[in-house]
Amino acid sequence: MNHVNTSDWYDSLRRELESNSLSIEKVSRRSEYWRKSNLDIVSDFVQDTSQIDLSQLKGTCLFEPDLTVHGDIMKLGSEESKSVLSIMDVITDEESFAKNYFGRLEEKSQKLIPRPLARDNSLSPKVGYAISFSDSFKKPLVIHNRTKTSASNCFQRNLIVIKDDVEATIIETGNNLSVFNSVTEIYLGKNAKLNFLDLTGQNNIFPKISHKFCDLAENSTFNHFGLRLNTKATRTELELHLNGHGINTSIANVSLINKRDHFSDENVLINHNAYECKSRQVFKSVLENDCTSIVRGKIYVAPEAQKTDGYQSSRSLLLNDKSKFLCKPELEIYADDVICSHGSTSSSLDKESLFYLLSRGVRKDKAKEMLIAAFISEALDEIEDEDIKSALSHYIDNWTSSFFHE
Amino acid sequence: MLKIDNLKVSLEEEDKQIIKGLSLSINPGEVHAIMGPNGSGKSTLSSVLAGKDGYVVNNGTVKFDGSDLLDAEVEERAALGIFLAFQYPIEIPGVGNMNFLRTALNSQRKTRGQEELNAADFLKLVRSIAKDLEISDEMMKRPVNVGASGGEKKRNEILQMCLLEPRFVILDETDSGLDVDAMKLVSRGVNNFLSSSRSFLVITHYQRLLNYIVPDFVHIMVDGRIVKTGDKKLALHVEETGYKDFLQLGKEKH
Ligand SMILES: Nc1ncnc2c1ncn2[C@@H]1O[C@H](COP(=O)(O)OP(=O)(O)OP(=O)(O)O)[C@@H](O)[C@H]1O
Ligand SMILES: [Mg+2]
Repeated sequence: MNHVNTSDWYDSLRRELESNSLSIEKVSRRSEYWRKSNLDIVSDFVQDTSQIDLSQLKGTCLFEPDLTVHGDIMKLGSEESKSVLSIMDVITDEESFAKNYFGRLEEKSQKLIPRPLARDNSLSPKVGYAISFSDSFKKPLVIHNRTKTSASNCFQRNLIVIKDDVEATIIETGNNLSVFNSVTEIYLGKNAKLNFLDLTGQNNIFPKISHKFCDLAENSTFNHFGLRLNTKATRTELELHLNGHGINTSIANVSLINKRDHFSDENVLINHNAYECKSRQVFKSVLENDCTSIVRGKIYVAPEAQKTDGYQSSRSLLLNDKSKFLCKPELEIYADDVICSHGSTSSSLDKESLFYLLSRGVRKDKAKEMLIAAFISEALDEIEDEDIKSALSHYIDNWTSSFFHE
Repeated sequence: MLKIDNLKVSLEEEDKQIIKGLSLSINPGEVHAIMGPNGSGKSTLSSVLAGKDGYVVNNGTVKFDGSDLLDAEVEERAALGIFLAFQYPIEIPGVGNMNFLRTALNSQRKTRGQEELNAADFLKLVRSIAKDLEISDEMMKRPVNVGASGGEKKRNEILQMCLLEPRFVILDETDSGLDVDAMKLVSRGVNNFLSSSRSFLVITHYQRLLNYIVPDFVHIMVDGRIVKTGDKKLALHVEETGYKDFLQLGKEKH
């Protein structure tokens, strides 16, 4: 139980969620949804010291954060803003805007797929942010999670509400906190746009599961980019509800893993509930040394979602034959006038390309780096903002240059 | 400069010999042409010299400047000054042409202990070469060879040659796929590049190229061997009568 005095609305929501949480199927190998995953993700989480150091990205001034969330402490940057609050402040406030949003998407998500860890999170959030934007943010908002050492589980709970016609970019990075179980509920109004970059750094020796549930109104845009650099055990659950016509979404992910038994596990469900919406999914995994990357992307098209355009591509580059890429694309379509495609491949480095580069004198490790960069470029191209894209690809290139020397 | 002695090469994948005892000696400043029927092993020879995987050397030696070439890695051979203009240059999506060229040039310079070229000097250099070969800026900005026509790819190979300044150049059918004007352009590029310290091995099916790039020697290769060596008149002979006179020579040597 939370030791803070939570609001009446949260208390009653909590009681409701708690009472029906018994019906949520637990995580186990018996469940098809979890069968191939690394179940460390659900075991007792311990301290995590990992981080992506954003200072490396500071080449562009864009990355000066306007606001930093340090675990449960919140520091506002230069510009005081009422629109970003601590989640703990929100659930103790009887009149908070969050009252109409908190927990709704988590509950909705349970109807399609049992997600016991998301429910645990709703019942005892510890840290997190609640964002409500009614004006566009020109600069990206960088959220740099950092936690104090503490053995307790960290349930991070976030809420993002973007009002009609508002555009924002959020980059989340930093420590995975001690035990990382995060739930982020995202609501986009009409014509709203959110670019979300979720950057998970290397040396994440502790497990992390993050859920993002997103409700989108007509003509809104949601672009999500995930980066997983040598993550020990990350699992992502992304569920989108496209509820109005003309919605555009892009989900892209790059996983670069070369450590033994490391694991990245991306699960996406896109619900096309309205006509003329577009969704793209681009996954790229580069794997070496007994590691695993899982991609499960499902496109659901409701009967009324005519003229849906759904695209999914998941590709892996296996640098040696010990690593595994498990991919499960799924289509469930109930409308007749739709274009949906998916493709999945696993391949090794192209020998001819490598030979071409080497024959021009490019050193072997550099040539591999170039081919890796080329391989993941399709996913990076999903990032609209050129400055962020180039800062990130520089960061990744630098990182890959150490890839072969470990 | 290059000395190949009784070289025998077979495929790694299957037990099939392609080069069947080939000897060839090339001195600095010389231009050698190799002609021969399809499948006689010309490209295989180029690949082996450049260091491509997939071949097994069963016999013989290849010396470059006196040391054993076959021991060197592909990128080391490039840094030594060996350059192969491919018969079929591949496309590499996602790798920018400029980035590739600069990395290649600077890697070679580094290996040779030279200073790396800065971005501005590099750009100037590439632009001037591209201009000579009439390669557009747009083409230079693309990923390596992506979307380029056959002839454009060949021109790109010559651009790389001019940029990297190798000492030993193999042109594997660089003329195939070039229009008349492009052929003149490329030949001019090659001729400007000739020097007393550089050597060329020009593989071609057409005597026409040899009017522009004049060879000191012409070799006829049949079934993995050089069966006849002469001067440029030999190329004219081939043009007129084909290879029928030489096929027999190939068999006799068995
Ligand atoms: N990797 C390979 N796998 C199978 N066969 C090969 C391979 N490389 C070469 N060969 C075979 O070896 C022979 C020689 O091929 P190569 O490409 O060297 O001929 P070429 O003289 O260059 O012919 P062309 O004039 O058509 O370019 C051919 O029969 C070819 O099929
Ligand atoms: Mg050939």
